[in-house]
Amino acid sequence: MTSKVCVLGAGSTKYGKLNESIIEIALTAAKDAIDSAGITPKEIQAGYISNVFGVADKQVHMAPVIMSNLGISHVPGLTIESACGSGSVMFREAYANVAAGFYDCVLALGVEKVTHTGTAMSTTLFSYCSDFFYEGGNGASFPGLFASMARAYMTTHKATEEDLAHVAVKNHENGVLNPKAHVRKKITVDEVMKSPVVASPLKLLDCCPFSDGASATILCSEDFAKKSGRPYMEIIGSGRGASPAAVQGREDITTIPSTVAAVRSAYKMAGITAKDIDFAEVHDCFTIAEVIDIEDLGFFPKGRAAHAVRDGATRLNGEIPINPSGGLKSKGHPIGATGVGQVVEVFDQFTGRAGERTVKDAEIALTHNFGATGASAAVHIFKKVDRK
Amino acid sequence: MAMSSSMHGVRERFIEAAGRKKILAHKCAKCGHLMLETVMYCEKCSASKFEDAELEGAGTVVTYTIQAVAPQGFEDAGSYAWVVFKIDNVNLRASGFLPGVATPADLPVGAKVQVTGFDQKHGLMLAKT
Repeated sequence: MTSKVCVLGAGSTKYGKLNESIIEIALTAAKDAIDSAGITPKEIQAGYISNVFGVADKQVHMAPVIMSNLGISHVPGLTIESACGSGSVMFREAYANVAAGFYDCVLALGVEKVTHTGTAMSTTLFSYCSDFFYEGGNGASFPGLFASMARAYMTTHKATEEDLAHVAVKNHENGVLNPKAHVRKKITVDEVMKSPVVASPLKLLDCCPFSDGASATILCSEDFAKKSGRPYMEIIGSGRGASPAAVQGREDITTIPSTVAAVRSAYKMAGITAKDIDFAEVHDCFTIAEVIDIEDLGFFPKGRAAHAVRDGATRLNGEIPINPSGGLKSKGHPIGATGVGQVVEVFDQFTGRAGERTVKDAEIALTHNFGATGASAAVHIFKKVDRK
Repeated sequence: MAMSSSMHGVRERFIEAAGRKKILAHKCAKCGHLMLETVMYCEKCSASKFEDAELEGAGTVVTYTIQAVAPQGFEDAGSYAWVVFKIDNVNLRASGFLPGVATPADLPVGAKVQVTGFDQKHGLMLAKT
Protein backbone atom coordinates (compact mmCIF):
# COMPACT_ATOMS: atom_id res chain seq x y z
CA MET A 1 0.00 0.00 0.00
CA THR A 2 1.49 3.33 -1.03
CA SER A 3 0.76 6.81 0.29
CA LYS A 4 -0.32 9.89 -1.64
CA VAL A 5 2.55 11.99 -2.99
CA CYS A 6 2.34 15.68 -3.84
CA VAL A 7 4.44 18.26 -5.66
CA LEU A 8 4.85 21.27 -3.39
CA GLY A 9 7.40 23.33 -5.28
CA ALA A 10 8.92 23.67 -8.73
CA GLY A 11 11.47 25.80 -10.52
CA SER A 12 13.54 25.98 -13.69
CA THR A 13 16.37 27.94 -15.16
CA LYS A 14 15.86 29.37 -18.59
CA TYR A 15 16.61 26.68 -21.19
CA GLY A 16 19.15 27.52 -23.89
CA LYS A 17 22.87 28.12 -24.20
CA LEU A 18 23.98 28.86 -20.63
CA ASN A 19 27.43 30.02 -19.56
CA GLU A 20 27.37 28.86 -15.94
CA SER A 21 28.78 25.51 -14.84
CA ILE A 22 26.48 22.51 -14.67
CA ILE A 23 26.44 22.70 -10.86
CA GLU A 24 25.56 26.40 -10.85
CA ILE A 25 22.74 25.70 -13.30
CA ALA A 26 21.45 22.89 -11.06
CA LEU A 27 21.61 25.02 -7.92
CA THR A 28 19.66 27.86 -9.54
CA ALA A 29 16.76 25.49 -10.28
CA ALA A 30 17.04 23.89 -6.83
CA LYS A 31 16.74 27.27 -5.11
CA ASP A 32 13.71 28.18 -7.24
CA ALA A 33 11.99 24.93 -6.28
CA ILE A 34 12.87 25.24 -2.59
CA ASP A 35 11.63 28.85 -2.48
CA SER A 36 8.43 27.97 -4.32
CA ALA A 37 7.73 25.18 -1.80
CA GLY A 38 8.30 27.55 1.11
CA ILE A 39 10.75 25.15 2.76
CA THR A 40 14.41 25.28 3.72
CA PRO A 41 16.99 22.72 2.51
CA LYS A 42 17.11 21.13 5.97
CA GLU A 43 13.61 19.74 5.37
CA ILE A 44 14.88 17.76 2.34
CA GLN A 45 15.57 14.15 3.29
CA ALA A 46 16.95 12.86 -0.04
CA GLY A 47 18.05 14.21 -3.39
CA TYR A 48 17.29 12.57 -6.75
CA ILE A 49 19.28 13.94 -9.67
CA SER A 50 18.99 13.14 -13.37
CA ASN A 51 21.80 13.86 -15.80
CA VAL A 52 23.36 12.23 -18.87
CA PHE A 53 26.48 14.09 -20.00
CA GLY A 54 27.90 15.58 -16.80
CA VAL A 55 31.27 14.28 -17.92
CA ALA A 56 31.20 16.90 -20.70
CA ASP A 57 31.36 19.59 -18.00
CA LYS A 58 33.82 17.65 -15.84
CA GLN A 59 31.32 16.55 -13.22
CA VAL A 60 29.84 13.15 -12.52
CA HIS A 61 28.65 11.83 -9.13
CA MET A 62 26.53 14.93 -9.18
CA ALA A 63 24.04 14.29 -6.36
CA PRO A 64 26.47 14.71 -3.43
CA VAL A 65 27.97 17.80 -5.05
CA ILE A 66 24.54 19.40 -5.32
CA MET A 67 23.55 18.35 -1.79
CA SER A 68 26.83 19.76 -0.42
CA ASN A 69 26.24 23.09 -2.15
CA LEU A 70 22.73 23.26 -0.72
CA GLY A 71 24.32 23.04 2.73
CA ILE A 72 22.94 19.55 3.37
CA SER A 73 25.94 17.35 2.66
CA HIS A 74 24.58 14.73 5.09
CA VAL A 75 21.51 14.15 2.90
CA PRO A 76 21.79 11.08 0.65
CA GLY A 77 21.55 11.59 -3.07
CA LEU A 78 21.31 9.45 -6.18
CA THR A 79 22.14 10.32 -9.79
CA ILE A 80 20.10 8.59 -12.49
CA GLU A 81 20.73 8.31 -16.24
CA SER A 82 18.15 7.14 -18.75
CA ALA A 83 19.12 9.17 -21.85
CA CYS A 84 16.51 11.80 -22.79
CA GLY A 85 14.06 10.17 -20.37
CA SER A 86 16.32 10.62 -17.36
CA GLY A 87 14.15 13.31 -15.77
CA SER A 88 10.90 11.36 -15.71
CA VAL A 89 12.55 8.06 -14.81
CA MET A 90 14.30 9.80 -11.90
CA PHE A 91 11.04 11.55 -10.91
CA ARG A 92 9.38 8.14 -10.75
CA GLU A 93 12.06 6.88 -8.32
CA ALA A 94 11.65 9.98 -6.15
CA TYR A 95 7.87 9.47 -6.24
CA ALA A 96 8.18 5.78 -5.34
CA ASN A 97 10.38 6.47 -2.33
CA VAL A 98 7.99 9.04 -0.90
CA ALA A 99 4.99 6.82 -1.71
CA ALA A 100 6.68 3.92 0.10
CA GLY A 101 7.14 6.09 3.18
CA PHE A 102 10.93 6.20 3.18
CA TYR A 103 10.89 10.01 3.04
CA ASP A 104 8.43 12.87 3.65
CA CYS A 105 10.18 15.45 1.50
CA VAL A 106 12.69 15.06 -1.36
CA LEU A 107 14.32 17.12 -4.08
CA ALA A 108 13.96 15.80 -7.65
CA LEU A 109 16.22 17.74 -9.99
CA GLY A 110 17.34 17.28 -13.59
CA VAL A 111 20.21 19.13 -15.22
CA GLU A 112 22.17 19.12 -18.48
CA LYS A 113 24.94 21.19 -20.04
CA VAL A 114 26.04 20.17 -23.51
CA THR A 115 25.97 23.16 -25.89
CA HIS A 116 29.58 24.09 -25.14
CA THR A 117 30.69 20.87 -26.86
CA GLY A 118 29.35 22.07 -30.25
CA THR A 119 26.85 20.48 -32.63
CA ALA A 120 29.18 17.79 -34.03
CA MET A 121 30.26 16.52 -30.60
CA SER A 122 26.72 16.77 -29.21
CA THR A 123 25.43 14.72 -32.17
CA THR A 124 28.08 12.10 -31.45
CA LEU A 125 27.40 12.05 -27.69
CA PHE A 126 23.68 11.63 -28.29
CA SER A 127 24.33 8.71 -30.68
CA TYR A 128 25.80 6.85 -27.69
CA CYS A 129 22.24 6.74 -26.27
CA SER A 130 21.23 4.40 -29.12
CA ASP A 131 21.77 0.62 -29.17
CA PHE A 132 25.20 1.48 -30.53
CA PHE A 133 26.21 -1.84 -32.11
CA TYR A 134 23.17 -1.75 -34.39
CA GLU A 135 22.43 1.97 -34.69
CA GLY A 136 25.16 4.53 -33.90
CA GLY A 137 27.79 2.04 -35.02
CA ASN A 138 26.10 1.70 -38.42
CA GLY A 139 26.02 5.47 -38.89
CA ALA A 140 22.67 6.47 -37.39
CA SER A 141 22.42 9.78 -35.56
CA PHE A 142 19.42 10.58 -33.37
CA PRO A 143 17.73 12.73 -36.01
CA GLY A 144 18.37 9.77 -38.33
CA LEU A 145 16.68 7.26 -36.04
CA PHE A 146 13.58 9.46 -35.69
CA ALA A 147 13.67 10.16 -39.41
CA SER A 148 13.44 6.42 -40.00
CA MET A 149 10.39 6.35 -37.72
CA ALA A 150 8.92 9.31 -39.62
CA ARG A 151 9.36 7.55 -42.96
CA ALA A 152 7.70 4.42 -41.59
CA TYR A 153 4.79 6.46 -40.18
CA MET A 154 4.32 8.48 -43.36
CA THR A 155 4.41 5.34 -45.48
CA THR A 156 1.91 3.49 -43.28
CA HIS A 157 -0.52 6.31 -42.51
CA LYS A 158 -0.20 8.52 -45.59
CA ALA A 159 0.91 11.50 -43.51
CA THR A 160 2.99 14.23 -45.13
CA GLU A 161 6.01 16.31 -44.22
CA GLU A 162 3.63 19.28 -44.01
CA ASP A 163 1.57 17.46 -41.39
CA LEU A 164 4.70 17.12 -39.27
CA ALA A 165 5.54 20.80 -39.81
CA HIS A 166 2.28 21.76 -38.09
CA VAL A 167 3.59 20.23 -34.84
CA ALA A 168 6.61 22.53 -34.93
CA VAL A 169 4.51 25.60 -35.75
CA LYS A 170 2.12 24.90 -32.85
CA ASN A 171 4.89 24.31 -30.32
CA HIS A 172 6.72 27.47 -31.29
CA GLU A 173 3.42 29.36 -31.00
CA ASN A 174 3.27 28.19 -27.35
CA GLY A 175 6.97 28.66 -26.68
CA VAL A 176 6.76 32.34 -27.58
CA LEU A 177 4.56 32.68 -24.47
CA ASN A 178 7.14 30.96 -22.23
CA PRO A 179 9.85 33.33 -20.91
CA LYS A 180 12.11 30.36 -20.13
CA ALA A 181 11.92 28.77 -23.57
CA HIS A 182 15.09 28.28 -25.61
CA VAL A 183 13.69 29.25 -29.02
CA ARG A 184 11.03 31.96 -28.63
CA LYS A 185 10.20 32.55 -32.25
CA LYS A 186 7.04 31.95 -34.26
CA ILE A 187 7.58 29.90 -37.38
CA THR A 188 5.42 29.01 -40.38
CA VAL A 189 4.81 25.73 -42.18
CA ASP A 190 6.59 27.22 -45.18
CA GLU A 191 9.66 28.01 -43.06
CA VAL A 192 9.74 24.46 -41.70
CA MET A 193 9.43 23.00 -45.19
CA LYS A 194 12.22 25.22 -46.54
CA SER A 195 14.61 24.63 -43.62
CA PRO A 196 17.65 22.47 -44.43
CA VAL A 197 17.22 18.69 -44.39
CA VAL A 198 18.95 17.19 -41.33
CA ALA A 199 17.94 13.56 -41.87
CA SER A 200 15.34 12.97 -44.54
CA PRO A 201 12.40 13.39 -44.16
CA LEU A 202 13.15 15.58 -41.11
CA LYS A 203 14.34 19.13 -41.56
CA LEU A 204 16.07 21.48 -39.16
CA LEU A 205 12.79 22.95 -37.89
CA ASP A 206 11.41 19.45 -37.21
CA CYS A 207 14.17 19.00 -34.62
CA CYS A 208 14.46 20.26 -31.06
CA PRO A 209 17.59 22.22 -30.17
CA PHE A 210 20.49 21.05 -28.02
CA SER A 211 19.90 22.93 -24.75
CA ASP A 212 21.43 23.55 -21.36
CA GLY A 213 19.19 23.94 -18.35
CA ALA A 214 17.89 22.57 -15.08
CA SER A 215 14.47 21.96 -13.56
CA ALA A 216 13.65 20.96 -10.01
CA THR A 217 10.65 19.87 -7.98
CA ILE A 218 9.93 19.23 -4.31
CA LEU A 219 7.95 16.04 -3.69
CA CYS A 220 6.36 15.35 -0.34
CA SER A 221 3.75 13.35 1.51
CA GLU A 222 0.17 14.60 1.56
CA ASP A 223 0.49 15.47 5.26
CA PHE A 224 3.60 17.53 4.60
CA ALA A 225 1.84 19.38 1.75
CA LYS A 226 -1.29 20.08 3.77
CA LYS A 227 0.69 21.42 6.71
CA SER A 228 2.60 23.81 4.43
CA GLY A 229 -0.54 25.81 3.69
CA ARG A 230 0.79 26.37 0.17
CA PRO A 231 -0.59 25.43 -3.26
CA TYR A 232 0.35 21.95 -4.44
CA MET A 233 -0.69 19.18 -6.82
CA GLU A 234 -1.13 15.48 -6.26
CA ILE A 235 0.51 12.74 -8.33
CA ILE A 236 -2.45 10.47 -9.10
CA GLY A 237 -0.77 8.24 -11.70
CA SER A 238 2.74 6.98 -12.34
CA GLY A 239 3.74 4.43 -14.96
CA ARG A 240 6.93 3.06 -16.50
CA GLY A 241 7.42 1.18 -19.74
CA ALA A 242 10.17 -0.28 -21.89
CA SER A 243 10.73 -1.08 -25.56
CA PRO A 244 13.38 -2.98 -27.52
CA ALA A 245 16.41 -0.70 -27.34
CA ALA A 246 16.95 -0.73 -31.12
CA VAL A 247 14.35 0.44 -33.62
CA GLN A 248 14.93 -2.74 -35.65
CA GLY A 249 13.63 -4.78 -32.69
CA ARG A 250 10.10 -3.39 -32.99
CA GLU A 251 7.45 -5.14 -35.06
CA ASP A 252 5.73 -1.79 -35.65
CA ILE A 253 7.97 1.25 -35.99
CA THR A 254 5.00 3.66 -35.91
CA THR A 255 4.35 3.13 -32.19
CA ILE A 256 6.52 3.22 -29.07
CA PRO A 257 5.74 0.24 -26.81
CA SER A 258 7.23 1.86 -23.69
CA THR A 259 4.79 4.77 -23.96
CA VAL A 260 1.82 2.45 -24.39
CA ALA A 261 2.82 0.40 -21.33
CA ALA A 262 3.61 3.43 -19.17
CA VAL A 263 0.40 5.27 -19.89
CA ARG A 264 -1.73 2.16 -19.45
CA SER A 265 -0.24 1.73 -16.00
CA ALA A 266 -0.64 5.42 -15.11
CA TYR A 267 -4.28 5.59 -16.27
CA LYS A 268 -5.07 2.44 -14.31
CA MET A 269 -3.50 3.82 -11.15
CA ALA A 270 -5.34 7.15 -11.54
CA GLY A 271 -8.62 5.43 -12.42
CA ILE A 272 -9.08 7.64 -15.48
CA THR A 273 -8.80 7.50 -19.27
CA ALA A 274 -7.27 9.75 -21.91
CA LYS A 275 -10.59 11.61 -22.12
CA ASP A 276 -10.07 12.94 -18.57
CA ILE A 277 -6.77 14.67 -19.37
CA ASP A 278 -7.05 18.47 -19.75
CA PHE A 279 -3.60 18.99 -21.27
CA ALA A 280 -0.35 17.09 -21.71
CA GLU A 281 3.37 17.74 -21.91
CA VAL A 282 4.79 15.10 -24.25
CA HIS A 283 8.21 14.14 -25.61
CA ASP A 284 8.50 15.99 -28.93
CA CYS A 285 12.24 15.76 -29.56
CA PHE A 286 11.26 15.63 -33.23
CA THR A 287 7.89 16.48 -34.75
CA ILE A 288 7.24 12.82 -35.59
CA ALA A 289 7.70 11.92 -31.93
CA GLU A 290 4.77 14.11 -30.86
CA VAL A 291 2.55 12.59 -33.55
CA ILE A 292 3.36 9.05 -32.38
CA ASP A 293 3.12 10.05 -28.69
CA ILE A 294 -0.38 11.49 -28.82
CA GLU A 295 -1.66 8.33 -30.49
CA ASP A 296 0.15 6.04 -28.05
CA LEU A 297 -1.19 8.09 -25.12
CA GLY A 298 -4.74 7.51 -26.36
CA PHE A 299 -5.64 11.05 -27.38
CA PHE A 300 -6.15 10.12 -31.03
CA PRO A 301 -6.73 6.86 -32.92
CA LYS A 302 -3.74 5.31 -34.70
CA GLY A 303 -2.97 7.16 -37.90
CA ARG A 304 -5.12 10.18 -37.07
CA ALA A 305 -2.82 12.41 -35.00
CA ALA A 306 -1.07 14.12 -37.90
CA HIS A 307 -4.42 15.23 -39.26
CA ALA A 308 -5.65 16.30 -35.81
CA VAL A 309 -2.60 18.50 -35.32
CA ARG A 310 -3.18 20.08 -38.72
CA ASP A 311 -6.80 20.77 -37.70
CA GLY A 312 -5.71 22.60 -34.53
CA ALA A 313 -6.92 20.01 -32.01
CA THR A 314 -3.68 20.22 -30.02
CA ARG A 315 -3.35 24.01 -29.85
CA LEU A 316 -3.77 25.89 -26.56
CA ASN A 317 -7.48 26.36 -27.26
CA GLY A 318 -7.92 22.96 -28.91
CA GLU A 319 -9.70 19.87 -27.62
CA ILE A 320 -6.51 18.53 -25.99
CA PRO A 321 -3.71 21.12 -25.68
CA ILE A 322 -0.34 19.45 -26.18
CA ASN A 323 2.89 21.03 -24.93
CA PRO A 324 1.61 24.40 -23.72
CA SER A 325 5.19 25.08 -22.55
CA GLY A 326 6.44 24.95 -26.15
CA GLY A 327 7.66 21.39 -25.66
CA LEU A 328 11.16 20.15 -26.34
CA LYS A 329 10.87 21.71 -29.78
CA SER A 330 10.63 25.33 -28.60
CA LYS A 331 11.17 25.33 -24.82
CA GLY A 332 14.29 23.23 -25.40
CA HIS A 333 15.70 19.83 -24.51
CA PRO A 334 18.40 19.76 -21.81
CA ILE A 335 18.07 16.01 -21.76
CA GLY A 336 18.67 15.33 -18.07
CA ALA A 337 16.20 18.06 -17.12
CA THR A 338 13.44 17.64 -19.71
CA GLY A 339 11.21 15.19 -17.82
CA VAL A 340 11.34 17.35 -14.69
CA GLY A 341 10.71 20.48 -16.72
CA GLN A 342 7.44 18.98 -17.90
CA VAL A 343 6.34 18.61 -14.26
CA VAL A 344 7.38 22.22 -13.61
CA GLU A 345 5.09 23.29 -16.45
CA VAL A 346 2.14 21.43 -14.94
CA PHE A 347 2.89 23.02 -11.54
CA ASP A 348 3.07 26.47 -13.15
CA GLN A 349 -0.23 25.83 -14.94
CA PHE A 350 -1.97 24.68 -11.74
CA THR A 351 -0.61 27.45 -9.51
CA GLY A 352 -1.29 30.47 -11.70
CA ARG A 353 2.29 30.92 -12.94
CA ALA A 354 1.80 30.10 -16.64
CA GLY A 355 0.68 33.54 -17.79
CA GLU A 356 -0.71 33.79 -21.31
CA ARG A 357 -0.17 30.08 -22.03
CA THR A 358 -2.49 29.00 -19.20
CA VAL A 359 -4.84 26.19 -20.21
CA LYS A 360 -8.25 27.37 -19.02
CA ASP A 361 -9.93 25.38 -16.24
CA ALA A 362 -7.34 22.59 -16.33
CA GLU A 363 -7.42 20.23 -13.34
CA ILE A 364 -5.79 17.01 -14.56
CA ALA A 365 -2.61 16.92 -16.65
CA LEU A 366 -0.22 14.28 -17.98
CA THR A 367 3.54 14.31 -18.55
CA HIS A 368 5.27 11.88 -20.91
CA ASN A 369 9.01 11.58 -21.46
CA PHE A 370 11.17 8.87 -23.01
CA GLY A 371 14.80 7.92 -23.44
CA ALA A 372 16.49 7.41 -26.82
CA THR A 373 13.92 6.28 -29.41
CA GLY A 374 11.58 5.24 -26.62
CA ALA A 375 13.56 2.38 -25.13
CA SER A 376 12.48 3.66 -21.71
CA ALA A 377 9.53 5.87 -20.83
CA ALA A 378 7.64 7.26 -17.87
CA VAL A 379 4.21 8.86 -17.64
CA HIS A 380 2.85 10.82 -14.69
CA ILE A 381 -0.62 12.22 -14.08
CA PHE A 382 -1.26 15.18 -11.80
CA LYS A 383 -4.37 16.58 -10.17
CA LYS A 384 -4.70 20.18 -9.11
CA VAL A 385 -5.50 20.53 -5.41
CA ASP A 386 -7.91 23.33 -4.67
CA ARG A 387 -6.86 25.02 -1.41
CA LYS A 388 -9.93 27.27 -1.17
CA MET B 1 23.64 -26.01 -36.53
CA ALA B 2 25.96 -25.52 -33.56
CA MET B 3 24.45 -25.37 -30.07
CA SER B 4 25.56 -22.39 -28.01
CA SER B 5 24.90 -21.11 -24.52
CA SER B 6 27.91 -18.82 -24.06
CA MET B 7 27.68 -15.18 -25.13
CA HIS B 8 31.42 -14.84 -25.29
CA GLY B 9 32.40 -13.37 -28.64
CA VAL B 10 28.88 -13.12 -30.04
CA ARG B 11 29.59 -9.83 -31.71
CA GLU B 12 32.72 -11.27 -33.29
CA ARG B 13 30.72 -14.23 -34.61
CA PHE B 14 28.01 -11.85 -35.95
CA ILE B 15 30.74 -9.82 -37.68
CA GLU B 16 32.41 -12.94 -39.08
CA ALA B 17 29.11 -14.14 -40.54
CA ALA B 18 28.46 -10.70 -42.07
CA GLY B 19 31.82 -11.07 -43.82
CA ARG B 20 30.28 -14.10 -45.57
CA LYS B 21 27.16 -12.01 -46.44
CA LYS B 22 25.08 -13.77 -43.78
CA ILE B 23 23.14 -12.64 -40.71
CA LEU B 24 23.81 -14.77 -37.67
CA ALA B 25 20.74 -15.29 -35.49
CA HIS B 26 19.88 -17.28 -32.39
CA LYS B 27 17.12 -19.87 -32.55
CA CYS B 28 15.83 -20.84 -29.11
CA ALA B 29 16.51 -24.52 -28.48
CA LYS B 30 13.34 -24.75 -26.36
CA CYS B 31 10.65 -22.84 -28.27
CA GLY B 32 12.23 -22.12 -31.66
CA HIS B 33 11.89 -18.33 -31.42
CA LEU B 34 14.37 -16.50 -33.65
CA MET B 35 16.39 -13.52 -32.37
CA LEU B 36 19.49 -11.65 -33.40
CA GLU B 37 22.71 -13.26 -32.21
CA THR B 38 23.34 -10.77 -29.40
CA VAL B 39 20.24 -11.61 -27.30
CA MET B 40 21.25 -13.78 -24.30
CA TYR B 41 17.90 -15.18 -23.18
CA CYS B 42 14.93 -16.08 -25.33
CA GLU B 43 12.47 -13.18 -25.60
CA LYS B 44 9.56 -15.62 -25.50
CA CYS B 45 10.50 -18.28 -22.93
CA SER B 46 13.72 -16.99 -21.23
CA ALA B 47 15.64 -20.17 -22.13
CA SER B 48 19.37 -19.64 -22.59
CA LYS B 49 20.27 -22.45 -24.99
CA PHE B 50 20.30 -21.55 -28.66
CA GLU B 51 21.16 -22.97 -32.03
CA ASP B 52 23.04 -20.68 -34.36
CA ALA B 53 20.89 -19.88 -37.37
CA GLU B 54 22.83 -18.47 -40.28
CA LEU B 55 20.40 -16.50 -42.41
CA GLU B 56 20.90 -15.32 -45.95
CA GLY B 57 21.75 -11.62 -45.55
CA ALA B 58 19.07 -10.50 -47.99
CA GLY B 59 16.04 -8.44 -47.14
CA THR B 60 13.54 -5.71 -47.88
CA VAL B 61 13.85 -2.07 -46.78
CA VAL B 62 11.32 -1.29 -44.04
CA THR B 63 12.50 2.27 -43.43
CA TYR B 64 15.64 4.35 -43.65
CA THR B 65 17.10 7.84 -43.46
CA ILE B 66 19.75 9.85 -45.27
CA GLN B 67 21.51 12.23 -42.91
CA ALA B 68 23.01 15.62 -43.71
CA VAL B 69 25.04 15.67 -40.48
CA ALA B 70 26.90 12.41 -39.96
CA PRO B 71 28.06 11.29 -36.52
CA GLN B 72 31.75 11.02 -35.67
CA GLY B 73 33.47 8.34 -37.74
CA PHE B 74 31.11 8.75 -40.67
CA GLU B 75 32.16 12.23 -41.85
CA ASP B 76 34.10 10.73 -44.75
CA ALA B 77 31.42 8.18 -45.68
CA GLY B 78 29.82 10.30 -48.40
CA SER B 79 26.06 10.07 -48.92
CA TYR B 80 24.66 6.98 -47.27
CA ALA B 81 21.45 5.62 -45.84
CA TRP B 82 20.98 4.01 -42.45
CA VAL B 83 18.53 1.25 -43.25
CA VAL B 84 16.18 -1.02 -41.30
CA PHE B 85 15.40 -4.11 -43.37
CA LYS B 86 13.31 -7.23 -42.89
CA ILE B 87 15.36 -10.35 -43.44
CA ASP B 88 13.89 -12.56 -46.16
CA ASN B 89 11.76 -15.54 -45.09
CA VAL B 90 11.89 -14.82 -41.32
CA ASN B 91 10.16 -12.38 -38.95
CA LEU B 92 13.35 -10.55 -38.02
CA ARG B 93 14.73 -7.12 -38.81
CA ALA B 94 18.27 -5.79 -38.87
CA SER B 95 19.85 -2.45 -39.66
CA GLY B 96 22.91 -1.40 -41.58
CA PHE B 97 24.91 1.09 -43.58
CA LEU B 98 24.09 1.52 -47.28
CA PRO B 99 26.61 3.72 -49.12
CA GLY B 100 25.93 5.69 -52.27
CA VAL B 101 22.38 6.80 -51.49
CA ALA B 102 21.97 10.55 -51.97
CA THR B 103 18.21 11.14 -52.16
CA PRO B 104 15.02 9.28 -51.22
CA ALA B 105 14.46 8.68 -54.93
CA ASP B 106 17.46 6.33 -54.79
CA LEU B 107 15.85 4.02 -52.24
CA PRO B 108 12.10 3.35 -52.18
CA VAL B 109 10.70 1.57 -49.14
CA GLY B 110 10.38 -2.06 -50.23
CA ALA B 111 13.68 -2.08 -52.16
CA LYS B 112 15.83 -5.21 -51.85
CA VAL B 113 19.18 -5.08 -50.05
CA GLN B 114 21.96 -7.57 -49.41
CA VAL B 115 24.58 -7.71 -46.66
CA THR B 116 28.02 -7.31 -48.24
CA GLY B 117 30.27 -7.43 -45.17
CA PHE B 118 31.14 -5.72 -41.91
CA ASP B 119 33.39 -2.68 -41.86
CA GLN B 120 35.13 -1.90 -38.56
CA LYS B 121 34.48 1.80 -39.18
CA HIS B 122 30.98 1.78 -40.68
CA GLY B 123 29.37 -1.37 -39.35
CA LEU B 124 27.08 -3.79 -41.23
CA MET B 125 27.54 -2.98 -44.93
CA LEU B 126 24.63 -3.25 -47.36
CA ALA B 127 24.16 -2.97 -51.11
CA LYS B 128 21.03 -2.61 -53.22
CA THR B 129 20.19 -5.65 -55.32
